[in-house]
Amino acid sequence: MNVATSFPHITEAHSAGIPSAEQILESLPRSVLVVGSEGVVTYANRASMVSLAAVVGSEMRDLFPGCVLSLATMTGAPSCLLISRDGEKFDAGIAVLGAGQFLIDLRPSLDARTADMQGDLDELTGLTKRNGLLKHLSSALCSGPASSIAVHCLDLDRFKMINDTLGHAVGDLLLKKVADRLTAACHKDDIVARLGGDEFVVLQRNVEEGTAETLASRIVDLIGRTYVIHGHTINIGASVGVAIGANALQDCDLLRNGDLALYEAKKAGRGRYRMFESGMDALLFARREMEIDLRRALALKQFKLNYQPFINVTTNRVDGFEALLRWEHPVKGNIPPLSFISLAEENGLIVKIGEWVMRTACIEAMSWPGEMIVAVNVSPLQFKADTLLDTVATALKRSGLPAHRLEIEITEGALLDDTDNVIQTLNSLRALGVKISMDDFGTGYSSLSYLQKFPFNKIKIDRSFVAGDDADSEAILRSIASLGTSLGMAITAEGVETAEQLARIRGERCTHVQGYFTGRPMGTDQIPVFLARNDLDERI
Amino acid sequence: MAASMYRLVYYSRNHIAHDQALFASNIQKILEKSRINNQRDEITGALLFNAGCFAQVLEGPLDKVEAAFERIQQDERHGDVSLLALDPISRRSFPNWAMGFIGTSDIQAKRFAGIGASTGFDPSRLSGDEIHALLRDLAIEEEAA
Repeated sequence: MNVATSFPHITEAHSAGIPSAEQILESLPRSVLVVGSEGVVTYANRASMVSLAAVVGSEMRDLFPGCVLSLATMTGAPSCLLISRDGEKFDAGIAVLGAGQFLIDLRPSLDARTADMQGDLDELTGLTKRNGLLKHLSSALCSGPASSIAVHCLDLDRFKMINDTLGHAVGDLLLKKVADRLTAACHKDDIVARLGGDEFVVLQRNVEEGTAETLASRIVDLIGRTYVIHGHTINIGASVGVAIGANALQDCDLLRNGDLALYEAKKAGRGRYRMFESGMDALLFARREMEIDLRRALALKQFKLNYQPFINVTTNRVDGFEALLRWEHPVKGNIPPLSFISLAEENGLIVKIGEWVMRTACIEAMSWPGEMIVAVNVSPLQFKADTLLDTVATALKRSGLPAHRLEIEITEGALLDDTDNVIQTLNSLRALGVKISMDDFGTGYSSLSYLQKFPFNKIKIDRSFVAGDDADSEAILRSIASLGTSLGMAITAEGVETAEQLARIRGERCTHVQGYFTGRPMGTDQIPVFLARNDLDERI
Repeated sequence: MAASMYRLVYYSRNHIAHDQALFASNIQKILEKSRINNQRDEITGALLFNAGCFAQVLEGPLDKVEAAFERIQQDERHGDVSLLALDPISRRSFPNWAMGFIGTSDIQAKRFAGIGASTGFDPSRLSGDEIHALLRDLAIEEEAA
């Protein structure tokens, strides 16, 4: 029997034992409505009276406040999502009855039923997991204006440290408390989800002007308040990235935008929130593009080393050259190291790039006349990778370069963390016969304890003290130089650009100079010519 | 019980609107809620308040004190919570749950005298111990701020 077509004639069926169509409809546990084309209910079964308070004469837009589509357009779809006044969700199947009447079959929404099933809940916190969040997000996006929803992506600052120092048991309890606080900060219609680790997402509904900002700042405040667990006082922070639904076509866009904003919040110093702005994706896109290019650059042989000479001011001879990395991008041209080194450090590529530099510099230095030294910069990240010693030893062995012709330049950054391990590596490098120098001294912490912990062969004084012709710069330059000399270290003044600066350096107990005035960076093939030129002597 | 007895001391800035009637009704609500929770959780202590801040001593079993502090942390009627002490103690300094106005405003003092009396608020207990005395002084300073 075709219920849809025979429904208006409910009188026919009182034959033996078979319930009437009306009885069947009335005892059907789910809601069925018949609605006129203007949206007025002309029939409501018992289940719909109970669950929707629908009666004949009710209007669709009152029963389902979010419903904006016309019944005629809804008929084409296999099912569409309707949300009742109580927030109950239905997958609505719609059939044309003829004469401007529509049958609406309301099945409790699969999304609503499955989203909160046990498997979709995080065991530790009881929050929704990623799948559940995506379901809620897509149903929120298709049931109302996108501008009325916002996602807040958040990360806990310093959570790893708590896990490492107080143990996972305390870390887990902390995550539970964070989940509680998030739930407390949100409205009951909002969805709080844990995507894993210390990554949470809040789906905020019924967003109005300013309410997303209010919630984000409330989250930052509440999560950042002190926790007490098993007698431990714990302080963490939250960084939050917020994206509002407007302009986002898909749930994944919204989450991505939230993540972009989160990235900016963390970059701006953590413990704060950032709203997504359209420029953020362009910025990150450019960064991502550069990362892809950077990953190929080694294989495509786009890196090149230039060498800048450093001159011994006591002998007036060139002692060696510092290797400087150049990236010749096929489209963007020369990309300066400042624009890509931090990216390479962030994604760990610096280790591979650093190996290439070390290998190449050693090989190229073999072609130079005499006993020229080659100085190679090493990133703090290369110390963390634990392969540095091996890399250096292999580069020396393969190239045949005697170890005393290699000088490794490190910055204070390398000594900041895990100092003991770094010192151990430096001692092993020294044992190979390699020289070690401290680069850019004077700009960072300039901690004297570093100079005491390891006997550097050389200190390179940052260019800013050479360029500054004021009394202060000069006093600093002089003090560092005399300190280094007393410790038996050579001193290089960097960034020497004029004859006047060079003359001043000579008076300040510096042993070496490096800069445009005494020689610009050059390709390895130009080095023999440079060394043979006799005007060098005239200049220095 | 004595083995796991702890004392937690904090003070925080008051976020309740500077509307006298709203402030009084909120204080009343806090009192009612605290009485129920703290009796159930064997927590004693004192809550000092004025228009500028809350200052509180919680004494009881560690897990109960932690749970109470977590509820307090989720309360947006205050902020800038400074946790001043969390220590094991051998005995309670406050025999029951007391709340009292502490500050220089006579009008406020009169208004909240009833609460003080009904909870057995005894300002003299606040001078017996260094941290309690510090808390009292902070509260009075914060009112002026």
